[in-house]
Amino acid sequence: MTSRRNTSSTDLLVDLVTNTADPGYAATAARRGPDAPRRWFDRPATAVGCLLVGFTLAIAYVHTHRGAPAAAKVHNDLVRRVEAAQSSANALEARAQQLGTKITRARDQALPGTSLGAQLQRNELLAGATPAAGPGLQVKLGDPPQPTSTPDNGRRGTTPIGGTQLLTDRDVRSVVNELWHDGAEAISVNDVRLTPTSAIRFAGQAVLVDFAPITSPYTIEAIGDSDVLVTSFADSDVASRYHTLASAEGVNFSWTQEGKLHLPATTAATPRYARPAETKGPR
Amino acid sequence: MIAGLALAVGVIVGLVLRPTVPHWLEPYLPIAVVAALDAVFGGIRARLDGIFDSKVFVVSFVSNVVVAALIVFLGDKLGVGGQLSTAVVVVLGIRIFGNAAAIRRHVFRA
Repeated sequence: MTSRRNTSSTDLLVDLVTNTADPGYAATAARRGPDAPRRWFDRPATAVGCLLVGFTLAIAYVHTHRGAPAAAKVHNDLVRRVEAAQSSANALEARAQQLGTKITRARDQALPGTSLGAQLQRNELLAGATPAAGPGLQVKLGDPPQPTSTPDNGRRGTTPIGGTQLLTDRDVRSVVNELWHDGAEAISVNDVRLTPTSAIRFAGQAVLVDFAPITSPYTIEAIGDSDVLVTSFADSDVASRYHTLASAEGVNFSWTQEGKLHLPATTAATPRYARPAETKGPR
Repeated sequence: MIAGLALAVGVIVGLVLRPTVPHWLEPYLPIAVVAALDAVFGGIRARLDGIFDSKVFVVSFVSNVVVAALIVFLGDKLGVGGQLSTAVVVVLGIRIFGNAAAIRRHVFRA
Protein backbone atom coordinates (compact mmCIF):
# COMPACT_ATOMS: atom_id res chain seq x y z
CA MET A 1 0.00 0.00 0.00
CA THR A 2 2.67 2.44 1.03
CA SER A 3 4.97 1.32 -1.77
CA ARG A 4 2.27 1.96 -4.35
CA ARG A 5 1.65 5.43 -3.02
CA ASN A 6 5.39 6.11 -3.10
CA THR A 7 5.67 5.01 -6.70
CA SER A 8 2.81 7.19 -7.78
CA SER A 9 4.18 10.27 -6.08
CA THR A 10 7.67 9.74 -7.49
CA ASP A 11 6.07 9.16 -10.89
CA LEU A 12 4.54 12.57 -10.61
CA LEU A 13 7.90 14.16 -9.85
CA VAL A 14 9.72 12.22 -12.58
CA ASP A 15 7.01 13.19 -15.02
CA LEU A 16 7.39 16.80 -13.98
CA VAL A 17 11.12 16.77 -14.65
CA THR A 18 11.31 14.60 -17.79
CA ASN A 19 8.12 15.57 -19.57
CA THR A 20 8.59 19.27 -19.85
CA ALA A 21 6.96 19.84 -23.21
CA ASP A 22 3.49 21.30 -23.20
CA PRO A 23 1.27 18.33 -24.21
CA GLY A 24 -1.04 20.79 -25.94
CA TYR A 25 1.29 21.15 -28.93
CA ALA A 26 1.56 17.40 -29.51
CA ALA A 27 -2.19 16.92 -29.10
CA THR A 28 -3.04 19.66 -31.58
CA ALA A 29 -0.48 18.38 -34.06
CA ALA A 30 -1.94 14.89 -33.82
CA ARG A 31 -5.47 16.18 -34.25
CA ARG A 32 -4.76 18.42 -37.22
CA GLY A 33 -2.43 16.09 -39.05
CA PRO A 34 1.03 16.77 -40.40
CA ASP A 35 0.12 19.05 -43.31
CA ALA A 36 -2.60 21.20 -41.85
CA PRO A 37 -3.28 24.39 -43.83
CA ARG A 38 -2.34 27.74 -42.33
CA ARG A 39 -5.24 29.41 -40.66
CA TRP A 40 -5.86 33.12 -41.03
CA PHE A 41 -5.17 33.87 -37.39
CA ASP A 42 -1.91 31.96 -37.11
CA ARG A 43 0.47 34.84 -37.68
CA PRO A 44 -1.50 37.56 -35.83
CA ALA A 45 -2.03 35.27 -32.84
CA THR A 46 1.67 34.45 -32.64
CA ALA A 47 2.50 38.12 -32.95
CA VAL A 48 0.04 39.12 -30.24
CA GLY A 49 1.31 36.37 -27.95
CA CYS A 50 4.93 37.43 -28.41
CA LEU A 51 3.95 41.05 -27.94
CA LEU A 52 2.29 40.18 -24.63
CA VAL A 53 5.32 38.18 -23.52
CA GLY A 54 7.74 40.96 -24.39
CA PHE A 55 5.51 43.54 -22.75
CA THR A 56 5.33 41.47 -19.55
CA LEU A 57 9.10 41.06 -19.40
CA ALA A 58 9.66 44.77 -20.04
CA ILE A 59 7.16 45.78 -17.37
CA ALA A 60 8.84 43.49 -14.86
CA TYR A 61 12.24 44.92 -15.74
CA VAL A 62 11.07 48.51 -15.48
CA HIS A 63 9.20 47.85 -12.27
CA THR A 64 12.15 46.17 -10.57
CA HIS A 65 14.64 48.79 -11.60
CA ARG A 66 12.42 51.70 -10.83
CA GLY A 67 11.17 50.57 -7.42
CA ALA A 68 14.45 49.63 -5.77
CA PRO A 69 16.56 52.70 -6.54
CA ALA A 70 13.68 55.03 -5.73
CA ALA A 71 13.25 53.49 -2.29
CA ALA A 72 17.01 53.56 -1.73
CA LYS A 73 17.14 57.16 -2.90
CA VAL A 74 14.41 58.23 -0.50
CA HIS A 75 16.13 56.37 2.32
CA ASN A 76 19.54 57.88 1.55
CA ASP A 77 17.98 61.30 1.25
CA LEU A 78 16.33 60.99 4.65
CA VAL A 79 19.54 59.71 6.22
CA ARG A 80 21.45 62.63 4.73
CA ARG A 81 18.91 65.11 6.03
CA VAL A 82 19.03 63.60 9.51
CA GLU A 83 22.82 63.68 9.49
CA ALA A 84 22.89 67.27 8.28
CA ALA A 85 20.42 68.30 10.96
CA GLN A 86 22.43 66.49 13.61
CA SER A 87 25.71 68.05 12.58
CA SER A 88 24.19 71.51 12.43
CA ALA A 89 22.65 70.94 15.86
CA ASN A 90 26.05 69.87 17.17
CA ALA A 91 27.70 72.93 15.64
CA LEU A 92 25.09 75.23 17.16
CA GLU A 93 25.49 73.52 20.52
CA ALA A 94 29.26 73.94 20.39
CA ARG A 95 28.86 77.59 19.42
CA ALA A 96 26.40 78.18 22.22
CA GLN A 97 28.80 76.69 24.74
CA GLN A 98 31.68 78.70 23.36
CA LEU A 99 29.67 81.90 23.61
CA GLY A 100 28.58 80.84 27.09
CA THR A 101 32.19 80.55 28.26
CA LYS A 102 32.88 83.95 26.73
CA ILE A 103 29.98 85.46 28.62
CA THR A 104 31.13 83.85 31.84
CA ARG A 105 34.62 85.21 31.38
CA ALA A 106 33.37 88.69 30.59
CA ARG A 107 31.07 88.61 33.56
CA ASP A 108 33.79 87.41 35.89
CA GLN A 109 35.88 90.36 34.77
CA ALA A 110 32.98 92.71 35.34
CA LEU A 111 32.11 91.35 38.77
CA PRO A 112 35.41 90.33 40.28
CA GLY A 113 35.13 88.68 43.64
CA THR A 114 31.69 89.96 44.47
CA SER A 115 29.09 87.81 46.13
CA LEU A 116 26.86 88.40 43.12
CA GLY A 117 29.34 86.58 40.85
CA ALA A 118 29.60 83.65 43.23
CA GLN A 119 25.84 83.40 43.45
CA LEU A 120 25.56 83.43 39.67
CA GLN A 121 28.10 80.63 39.39
CA ARG A 122 26.22 78.59 41.94
CA ASN A 123 22.95 79.07 40.09
CA GLU A 124 24.55 78.14 36.79
CA LEU A 125 25.96 74.99 38.30
CA LEU A 126 22.56 74.00 39.60
CA ALA A 127 21.00 74.75 36.21
CA GLY A 128 23.59 72.61 34.44
CA ALA A 129 24.92 75.53 32.43
CA THR A 130 28.54 74.97 33.48
CA PRO A 131 30.49 71.73 33.57
CA ALA A 132 30.60 70.19 37.00
CA ALA A 133 33.29 68.13 38.69
CA GLY A 134 33.38 66.39 42.00
CA PRO A 135 33.12 63.09 43.83
CA GLY A 136 30.08 60.94 43.28
CA LEU A 137 28.49 57.73 42.17
CA GLN A 138 28.41 56.04 38.79
CA VAL A 139 25.52 53.68 38.07
CA LYS A 140 25.59 51.40 35.05
CA LEU A 141 22.41 49.88 33.67
CA GLY A 142 22.45 47.81 30.51
CA ASP A 143 20.08 45.64 28.53
CA PRO A 144 20.89 41.94 28.66
CA PRO A 145 22.82 40.69 25.62
CA GLN A 146 20.34 39.81 22.91
CA PRO A 147 20.23 36.17 21.90
CA THR A 148 21.24 35.94 18.25
CA SER A 149 17.97 35.76 16.46
CA THR A 150 17.35 32.95 14.02
CA PRO A 151 16.97 34.05 10.41
CA ASP A 152 13.44 35.14 10.00
CA ASN A 153 11.50 33.27 7.34
CA GLY A 154 8.39 35.34 7.67
CA ARG A 155 6.85 37.06 4.73
CA ARG A 156 7.80 40.57 3.85
CA GLY A 157 6.08 43.24 5.85
CA THR A 158 6.02 41.36 9.14
CA THR A 159 8.20 42.50 12.03
CA PRO A 160 10.02 39.82 13.97
CA ILE A 161 9.10 39.41 17.60
CA GLY A 162 12.03 39.68 19.98
CA GLY A 163 13.46 42.97 18.84
CA THR A 164 12.16 44.51 22.04
CA GLN A 165 14.23 45.94 24.84
CA LEU A 166 13.85 45.26 28.49
CA LEU A 167 14.94 48.63 29.82
CA THR A 168 12.91 51.72 29.06
CA ASP A 169 12.77 55.35 30.08
CA ARG A 170 11.07 54.31 33.30
CA ASP A 171 14.18 52.47 34.49
CA VAL A 172 16.51 55.35 33.75
CA ARG A 173 14.05 57.72 35.39
CA SER A 174 13.71 55.70 38.56
CA VAL A 175 17.50 55.53 39.01
CA VAL A 176 17.79 59.28 38.41
CA ASN A 177 14.97 60.02 40.84
CA GLU A 178 16.59 57.83 43.47
CA LEU A 179 19.89 59.65 43.00
CA TRP A 180 18.25 63.08 43.37
CA HIS A 181 16.57 61.74 46.49
CA ASP A 182 19.91 60.50 47.83
CA GLY A 183 21.35 63.98 47.64
CA ALA A 184 22.93 64.22 44.21
CA GLU A 185 23.69 67.78 43.14
CA ALA A 186 24.32 67.19 39.44
CA ILE A 187 23.45 64.22 37.27
CA SER A 188 24.23 63.22 33.72
CA VAL A 189 22.88 60.29 31.76
CA ASN A 190 25.21 58.98 29.04
CA ASP A 191 26.99 62.36 29.12
CA VAL A 192 23.78 64.35 28.77
CA ARG A 193 23.53 66.71 31.71
CA LEU A 194 20.19 66.90 33.44
CA THR A 195 18.75 70.32 34.11
CA PRO A 196 15.68 71.41 36.08
CA THR A 197 13.68 71.19 32.84
CA SER A 198 15.05 67.83 31.65
CA ALA A 199 12.63 65.13 30.57
CA ILE A 200 13.47 61.46 30.18
CA ARG A 201 11.14 59.92 27.65
CA PHE A 202 10.83 56.94 25.34
CA ALA A 203 10.39 57.20 21.60
CA GLY A 204 10.56 54.22 19.28
CA GLN A 205 13.53 52.18 20.35
CA ALA A 206 15.52 54.89 22.07
CA VAL A 207 15.41 56.64 25.40
CA LEU A 208 15.38 60.40 24.94
CA VAL A 209 16.99 62.66 27.50
CA ASP A 210 15.67 66.07 26.59
CA PHE A 211 15.95 65.57 22.84
CA ALA A 212 19.16 63.53 22.71
CA PRO A 213 18.58 59.84 21.96
CA ILE A 214 20.65 57.47 24.08
CA THR A 215 20.85 53.70 23.99
CA SER A 216 21.80 50.91 26.36
CA PRO A 217 24.08 50.63 28.31
CA TYR A 218 23.03 53.65 30.36
CA THR A 219 25.70 55.30 32.48
CA ILE A 220 24.23 57.58 35.11
CA GLU A 221 26.72 59.78 36.93
CA ALA A 222 25.80 61.78 39.99
CA ILE A 223 27.92 64.27 41.89
CA GLY A 224 27.36 64.58 45.61
CA ASP A 225 28.63 63.33 48.92
CA SER A 226 29.84 60.02 47.57
CA ASP A 227 29.64 58.12 50.86
CA VAL A 228 26.07 59.20 51.46
CA LEU A 229 25.15 58.53 47.83
CA VAL A 230 26.57 55.01 47.90
CA THR A 231 25.00 53.98 51.17
CA SER A 232 21.61 55.50 50.41
CA PHE A 233 21.54 54.12 46.91
CA ALA A 234 22.57 50.64 48.05
CA ASP A 235 19.75 50.77 50.58
CA SER A 236 17.09 51.91 48.16
CA ASP A 237 14.19 49.98 46.65
CA VAL A 238 15.47 50.88 43.20
CA ALA A 239 18.81 49.16 43.76
CA SER A 240 17.20 46.02 45.13
CA ARG A 241 14.72 45.95 42.23
CA TYR A 242 17.51 46.04 39.66
CA HIS A 243 19.51 43.48 41.61
CA THR A 244 16.52 41.17 41.27
CA LEU A 245 16.21 42.01 37.57
CA ALA A 246 19.92 41.41 37.11
CA SER A 247 19.72 37.91 38.53
CA ALA A 248 16.40 37.06 36.87
CA GLU A 249 16.70 38.66 33.43
CA GLY A 250 20.41 39.21 32.99
CA VAL A 251 20.24 42.99 33.14
CA ASN A 252 23.64 44.58 33.67
CA PHE A 253 23.49 46.59 36.85
CA SER A 254 26.41 47.89 38.86
CA TRP A 255 27.56 51.02 40.61
CA THR A 256 30.90 52.37 41.69
CA GLN A 257 31.96 55.16 44.01
CA GLU A 258 34.04 57.64 42.06
CA GLY A 259 36.55 60.08 43.49
CA LYS A 260 36.24 62.52 40.64
CA LEU A 261 33.52 62.76 38.02
CA HIS A 262 33.27 65.27 35.19
CA LEU A 263 29.81 66.16 34.02
CA PRO A 264 29.44 68.15 30.80
CA ALA A 265 27.48 71.36 30.58
CA THR A 266 24.33 71.82 28.63
CA THR A 267 22.89 74.90 27.04
CA ALA A 268 20.37 76.20 29.51
CA ALA A 269 16.98 76.98 28.08
CA THR A 270 15.97 80.60 28.38
CA PRO A 271 12.64 80.91 30.15
CA ARG A 272 10.17 82.80 27.99
CA TYR A 273 7.08 82.85 30.17
CA ALA A 274 8.32 82.35 33.70
CA ARG A 275 9.27 85.61 35.44
CA PRO A 276 10.61 86.10 38.92
CA ALA A 277 7.55 86.74 41.09
CA GLU A 278 7.42 89.79 43.33
CA THR A 279 8.65 88.68 46.71
CA LYS A 280 6.72 90.25 49.55
CA GLY A 281 9.11 90.73 52.39
CA PRO A 282 11.88 88.38 53.41
CA ARG A 283 11.24 84.67 52.92
CA MET B 1 10.60 35.97 -37.80
CA ILE B 2 7.34 37.72 -36.99
CA ALA B 3 7.49 36.27 -33.48
CA GLY B 4 10.89 37.79 -32.78
CA LEU B 5 9.77 41.09 -34.23
CA ALA B 6 6.64 41.14 -32.08
CA LEU B 7 8.71 40.25 -29.01
CA ALA B 8 11.05 43.17 -29.68
CA VAL B 9 8.09 45.50 -30.27
CA GLY B 10 6.53 44.37 -26.98
CA VAL B 11 9.76 45.03 -25.08
CA ILE B 12 10.15 48.45 -26.69
CA VAL B 13 6.53 49.40 -25.99
CA GLY B 14 6.98 48.37 -22.36
CA LEU B 15 10.22 50.33 -22.04
CA VAL B 16 8.79 53.43 -23.71
CA LEU B 17 5.44 53.51 -21.91
CA ARG B 18 6.96 52.53 -18.53
CA PRO B 19 3.54 51.72 -17.09
CA THR B 20 3.16 51.78 -13.31
CA VAL B 21 2.17 48.44 -11.91
CA PRO B 22 -0.80 48.81 -9.55
CA HIS B 23 -0.01 47.85 -5.99
CA TRP B 24 -2.42 44.90 -5.87
CA LEU B 25 -0.80 43.42 -9.00
CA GLU B 26 2.74 43.46 -7.67
CA PRO B 27 2.78 39.98 -6.09
CA TYR B 28 1.73 38.44 -9.43
CA LEU B 29 4.46 40.07 -11.48
CA PRO B 30 7.14 37.42 -10.81
CA ILE B 31 4.67 34.69 -11.67
CA ALA B 32 3.70 36.42 -14.90
CA VAL B 33 7.37 36.70 -15.81
CA VAL B 34 8.06 33.03 -15.20
CA ALA B 35 4.89 32.04 -17.08
CA ALA B 36 5.94 34.26 -20.00
CA LEU B 37 9.39 32.70 -20.13
CA ASP B 38 7.82 29.26 -19.97
CA ALA B 39 5.55 30.11 -22.90
CA VAL B 40 8.46 31.41 -24.94
CA PHE B 41 10.67 28.38 -24.38
CA GLY B 42 7.76 26.00 -24.89
CA GLY B 43 6.88 27.76 -28.14
CA ILE B 44 10.45 27.69 -29.45
CA ARG B 45 10.73 24.01 -28.63
CA ALA B 46 7.45 23.23 -30.42
CA ARG B 47 8.59 25.23 -33.44
CA LEU B 48 11.80 23.20 -33.57
CA ASP B 49 9.78 19.99 -33.14
CA GLY B 50 7.65 21.19 -36.05
CA ILE B 51 4.42 21.15 -34.10
CA PHE B 52 4.07 24.82 -33.22
CA ASP B 53 0.53 26.04 -33.04
CA SER B 54 -0.32 29.69 -32.51
CA LYS B 55 -3.57 28.95 -30.69
CA VAL B 56 -1.87 26.63 -28.21
CA PHE B 57 0.87 29.22 -27.70
CA VAL B 58 -1.44 32.11 -26.86
CA VAL B 59 -3.89 30.05 -24.85
CA SER B 60 -1.13 28.35 -22.85
CA PHE B 61 0.52 31.66 -22.01
CA VAL B 62 -2.68 33.38 -20.93
CA SER B 63 -4.00 30.40 -19.03
CA ASN B 64 -0.64 29.84 -17.31
CA VAL B 65 -0.62 33.41 -16.07
CA VAL B 66 -4.25 33.29 -14.99
CA VAL B 67 -4.05 29.93 -13.25
CA ALA B 68 -0.77 30.73 -11.51
CA ALA B 69 -2.14 34.08 -10.35
CA LEU B 70 -5.32 32.39 -9.16
CA ILE B 71 -3.37 29.82 -7.15
CA VAL B 72 -1.29 32.52 -5.52
CA PHE B 73 -4.34 34.70 -4.90
CA LEU B 74 -6.09 31.81 -3.16
CA GLY B 75 -2.91 31.05 -1.23
CA ASP B 76 -2.67 34.67 -0.13
CA LYS B 77 -6.21 34.51 1.20
CA LEU B 78 -5.44 31.25 3.04
CA GLY B 79 -2.06 32.35 4.36
CA VAL B 80 0.21 30.20 2.19
CA GLY B 81 0.70 32.66 -0.67
CA GLY B 82 4.48 32.84 -0.32
CA GLN B 83 4.88 29.06 -0.40
CA LEU B 84 2.49 28.61 -3.31
CA SER B 85 4.25 31.36 -5.21
CA THR B 86 7.50 29.44 -4.69
CA ALA B 87 5.81 26.24 -5.86
CA VAL B 88 4.59 27.90 -9.06
CA VAL B 89 8.03 29.32 -9.77
CA VAL B 90 9.70 25.95 -9.12
CA VAL B 91 7.34 23.98 -11.38
CA LEU B 92 7.51 26.49 -14.22
CA GLY B 93 11.25 26.82 -13.70
CA ILE B 94 11.72 23.07 -14.14
CA ARG B 95 9.71 23.27 -17.35
CA ILE B 96 11.82 26.14 -18.60
CA PHE B 97 15.01 24.18 -17.95
CA GLY B 98 13.62 21.08 -19.62
CA ASN B 99 12.52 23.04 -22.69
CA ALA B 100 15.84 24.84 -22.83
CA ALA B 101 17.59 21.46 -22.80
CA ALA B 102 15.38 20.22 -25.63
CA ILE B 103 16.12 23.37 -27.66
CA ARG B 104 19.81 22.87 -27.02
CA ARG B 105 19.59 19.31 -28.32
CA HIS B 106 17.82 20.55 -31.42
CA VAL B 107 20.23 23.36 -32.15
CA PHE B 108 23.56 21.80 -31.26
CA ARG B 109 22.60 18.15 -31.71
CA ALA B 110 24.23 17.54 -28.35
